[in-house]
Amino acid sequence: MNNCGGPQIKEEVTVLKKISGVFDPLRFSLGYIQKKSKLILVIISFAFVAAVARLLIPIYIGDSVGALESGEIYRIQSFIILILVVSAITAFSQFFINYLSQLVSQSYAFNLRSHLLHKLLLKKVGFMENKTSGDLLSRSTMDIEASRNFILNTTTTLISTMFLIVIGLYLLITLNYIYALFFALSVPFIVYTGMVFQRKQRIHWRNIRSIYGLMNERLQENIVGQRVVRGYQGARSEDKRFNQTTGNYYDEYMEVAHLRGLYNNLMPLSVGVAATAVILYGGFIDIISGASVGSLVAAVNIFIMVSSPISFLGRIIVFSENARASIVRIKEIINDREEESAGNSLSKMKLPGADLIFQGVSFIRGDRRILNRIEVSIKPGEIVSLTGRIGSGKSTLISLIPRLYEPSEGKIEIAGKSIEQYTLSDLRKLVAIVPQSSNLLSGTVFDNIAFGRPFTIDEVRKAAKIAEISEFIEGLAEEYNTAVGERGITLSGGQKQRMLVARAVIGKPGILVLDDATSSVDPQTEMEMLGNIRRELNGTTIIIVSHRPSVARFAERVLLLENGEVVESTLEKAISIDNDKGPKKDGGEDNAEEL
Amino acid sequence: MPKSYDETEDDFLVRMKNSKAFRRLITEMLSMRRVSLKVFLSVVITAIAGTLYPLTLGFSINGIIQRNYSSFEFFAGIFLVLFLITFASNRIRTVESTRLAQSEIKSLRERAFGNLQRVPVSFFGKVKTGYLISRITNDAENLSEFLTFLLPAVISGISTVILSISIMFFLDWTLALYALIVIPVLVGFTFILQPRVMRNYLATRKTIAAITGSMSENIGAFRATKAYGVENYTEKRFSSLNTNNYKANMKAAFLSSIYGSAIRMIEAAGIAIVILAGALELSAGLISVGILVAFILYVQNFFEPVTQLSQLYTSYQSAMVGIARIYAIIDSDDEIYNLKTQSPDHFKNSIQFRDVSFKYDTDYALKNINITIAKGEKIGIVGHTGAGKTTFSNLLLGFYEPTEGDIIVDGDNLRELNLVRYRNLIAPVLQDIFIFRGSVYENIQFSKPEISKDETSRLAKEYGLDAIFDSLPEGIDTQVGELGSNLSEGQKQAVSLMRAYVRNPEILLMDEPTSQIDPFSEAVIMKSLRLYVRDKTLVLITHRFSLISLVDRITVIHGGEIVEEGAFEELSASDGIFNSLYRIYSGTGDPEL
Repeated sequence: MNNCGGPQIKEEVTVLKKISGVFDPLRFSLGYIQKKSKLILVIISFAFVAAVARLLIPIYIGDSVGALESGEIYRIQSFIILILVVSAITAFSQFFINYLSQLVSQSYAFNLRSHLLHKLLLKKVGFMENKTSGDLLSRSTMDIEASRNFILNTTTTLISTMFLIVIGLYLLITLNYIYALFFALSVPFIVYTGMVFQRKQRIHWRNIRSIYGLMNERLQENIVGQRVVRGYQGARSEDKRFNQTTGNYYDEYMEVAHLRGLYNNLMPLSVGVAATAVILYGGFIDIISGASVGSLVAAVNIFIMVSSPISFLGRIIVFSENARASIVRIKEIINDREEESAGNSLSKMKLPGADLIFQGVSFIRGDRRILNRIEVSIKPGEIVSLTGRIGSGKSTLISLIPRLYEPSEGKIEIAGKSIEQYTLSDLRKLVAIVPQSSNLLSGTVFDNIAFGRPFTIDEVRKAAKIAEISEFIEGLAEEYNTAVGERGITLSGGQKQRMLVARAVIGKPGILVLDDATSSVDPQTEMEMLGNIRRELNGTTIIIVSHRPSVARFAERVLLLENGEVVESTLEKAISIDNDKGPKKDGGEDNAEEL
Repeated sequence: MPKSYDETEDDFLVRMKNSKAFRRLITEMLSMRRVSLKVFLSVVITAIAGTLYPLTLGFSINGIIQRNYSSFEFFAGIFLVLFLITFASNRIRTVESTRLAQSEIKSLRERAFGNLQRVPVSFFGKVKTGYLISRITNDAENLSEFLTFLLPAVISGISTVILSISIMFFLDWTLALYALIVIPVLVGFTFILQPRVMRNYLATRKTIAAITGSMSENIGAFRATKAYGVENYTEKRFSSLNTNNYKANMKAAFLSSIYGSAIRMIEAAGIAIVILAGALELSAGLISVGILVAFILYVQNFFEPVTQLSQLYTSYQSAMVGIARIYAIIDSDDEIYNLKTQSPDHFKNSIQFRDVSFKYDTDYALKNINITIAKGEKIGIVGHTGAGKTTFSNLLLGFYEPTEGDIIVDGDNLRELNLVRYRNLIAPVLQDIFIFRGSVYENIQFSKPEISKDETSRLAKEYGLDAIFDSLPEGIDTQVGELGSNLSEGQKQAVSLMRAYVRNPEILLMDEPTSQIDPFSEAVIMKSLRLYVRDKTLVLITHRFSLISLVDRITVIHGGEIVEEGAFEELSASDGIFNSLYRIYSGTGDPEL
């Protein structure tokens, strides 16, 4: 059925697609303003009323001029009253158009933002891996704003302009159909110009966005690595790298400016040409026929009234292009695959202390087998140290437990049940992972430890004590109500890590995983903290990813992850994986590993 | 401390000194003479053409009424010519105003970036990365609309108003006075309403900033949110900010919609007055119909720029907040590079710290440090986190100046040395990640642009780091992701070392070089370093002990002061801080569990 039409139909379809492309953003956005669809009808009605009323003004002006010309000054009064009345109607309608348009566009942004965040939070953890936070942020802020701006302009200006054009045409017909013809001829030209303009500038807007992203990135690289840049006197080459992006950015903007300079100004020009044609034609006719100039004045006034919104069309096209690029980017987030929150709610598991068994678990990424048929069984309450080279898959292995990732093969059981049988929220209450680093939320210390869960201040105090951070917090003037983050106190790396540990231990998880979570904590404090955890979270299974010999010694059992497989290891072996490669000196202790 | 978004903006409004930033901006733009002249001329020509067409229309109508073909044709012709002139001048205006605006934005960004390379390193301790990025990218971006469209609109608006009024007075001064009756009403109304519009507008800015902040946080805390299953909590937190923003916007919309509608009414009143007064004058034979038509158009004409100008005020405010903040970055004090031009070419003898103290605010980070690093010596600086070790390296690199005491390099005071030349002597291997998008080779090349790829590979092999790079898919040609996301810590460390190796410095400074590295990479790096530092001067700063065997002598810093000094054997035999740190590290001295 596709082929019968041949290439012509195909061409038509692409043309149609191109035309409808202008409305793509509109179609997408309708989903977020459905509840306000009645409002849109109201806006459209007011836009209609406003357009009629606005166009009546030139008619009445024309009529008054006609009346003056013919000496019927007594009629002026009624025209003046009419002008004031229709102006009042326009002003009244315009108020609703403007206000309701804001209402619609703001609720669009409101709904889309909430929806986007909601969708984002449903993503698998892997979703973040190939995204940069700056990119996600710009999608969820700038892109939403760009599409909102388009909606606002559509409702405030585009609809009105459409009505102005149509009604203007109608009024011209009633004045003189030849005037209308001149006007009608200019409209397709304007629309065509607009379409060409849109097509030509699209690529540049895309480039502008990606260059902007690059600019952000280079700036960030530079600031983060500032001491190294200084150390190597890299300022000049860094300047060059950065100025390359600003230079390209400038060039793209100039390309757009050249296009805009031509096409955007062609639109009012075509109106002007049509208006001149009307004057010439109308003038000659009036001179010949001796008719009143009133209708000619009205016609020219209509032209002028219509021409200023028409020149705004060019900007709408820019907004539409921007919105379109933005919506594509927003959609990429919304439509990406989500986590399946399957699992029956059989949450009455025994807490804490549950068997954790890996049965033939593999994890494959691309063609790399990161984990290869892992067989491990960890008993309730056991303290296990997991070690291995960076990149050996330790973090991947532990991320499988709360299903942040899914194994490619095999299964994981907790308390005799496959983890897929738990609901995600239950599973994640059961298993707490403390990462090496994570940003704190802006909010208080309390907020950051309780982290949205209904814990009391006493529970938070206790968790802080376990994590060896309570002394620090209680030394602050506002203790647990002290603000942290952007506008609060700045914590050192080690203090942050201890806050994160407190956040995890407060939930008394069945399985606690410390993923290199104490790397910035000094060894002494670290050992005290681990001791507290063992004492206070009696029965909790503890898995510690670390390279430090002291931690390995603390654990009851050492597991070594090597070549995708887990092997039971002894303390000595774990410490000396690379003894043969390391240099010897000072009693052979120097090559003991870090972390 | 950097001020938060709100604080700066509030401050700004309180002081209202934005005219200074504005003047500077304008001066800078005017210094691009040709472009700014083109913008100015094209804007004024457009405005003149715009104000003349009602007049030509009026004259051609008079021509029609008087049955005067030639005058009618002439003025109709002028009417068309005016449109053509407008087209041409507007085209130039569009291109040139973009050129002017974008050149200025480009220059602001480049100057701000350039100055970031020159400010004292301590600046980055005070100002957050995100703040700087958003000033240089976002705030500069927000200027674009203001500079490209609004600023020319001001010139255009002012010229239109002046021209319209002059023409009206020229045509008929009594009718002109009638036409201007509504102006005081318009101005008064605007002045009453604008401050409130402004306040509402600022509220929308603040609330949207809060949304951006929260979004950024949520993205950063994504993994934690998932791991603790607190998605609902996150959404709830966000939702209240989202609602605030919505409300603020609607409040602002209400007022500005009212303003817009009121302007329309005032305009209609103006037209009505002109028609009424015009009718009287017409019947008295004082004016012609054509002139009256022109008057009506002029009244409409000057309302447009007036409404535009009133909207401009808010954009002006926000653009100036942005520009003031960018200028603040551009104007931050430079590091003092070379008061005197003493420029060391070689490290001959020693670097001495003489009674060096350093204070951040009121607290001493380092106190009375006396230490001599002789050429060829390998020295370790050890201590707890927060002991002052990194301050030491910042002082050594000349990033900070000592608050008290002096650093003497080969007999010269560091305060009087050319810092660029001095830093040439030292290759730093720091904790900071400076990895940019590009290949591993390009990242290494950073420290020595002229080094070839072959030479880089050769050096990697010579110093045994090739094993680390070989594990990358394409060796040193592998492309590196954002902030080195696809490199392991060991690989990043190796890049950092290679930077030093290709530079071949006389002094190697390592500041916590292996804080997060796996044993395998560490062993390789150790071996490589041992080979490399044989005839170099090494300063190793660490709170871990894996590399300690590289040094001959250890200085222990505690609470900003030197507490122990000696060789490894001496210190580990004594019962001091070093020994306790070392025992915990090696797991032989577990504290109470």
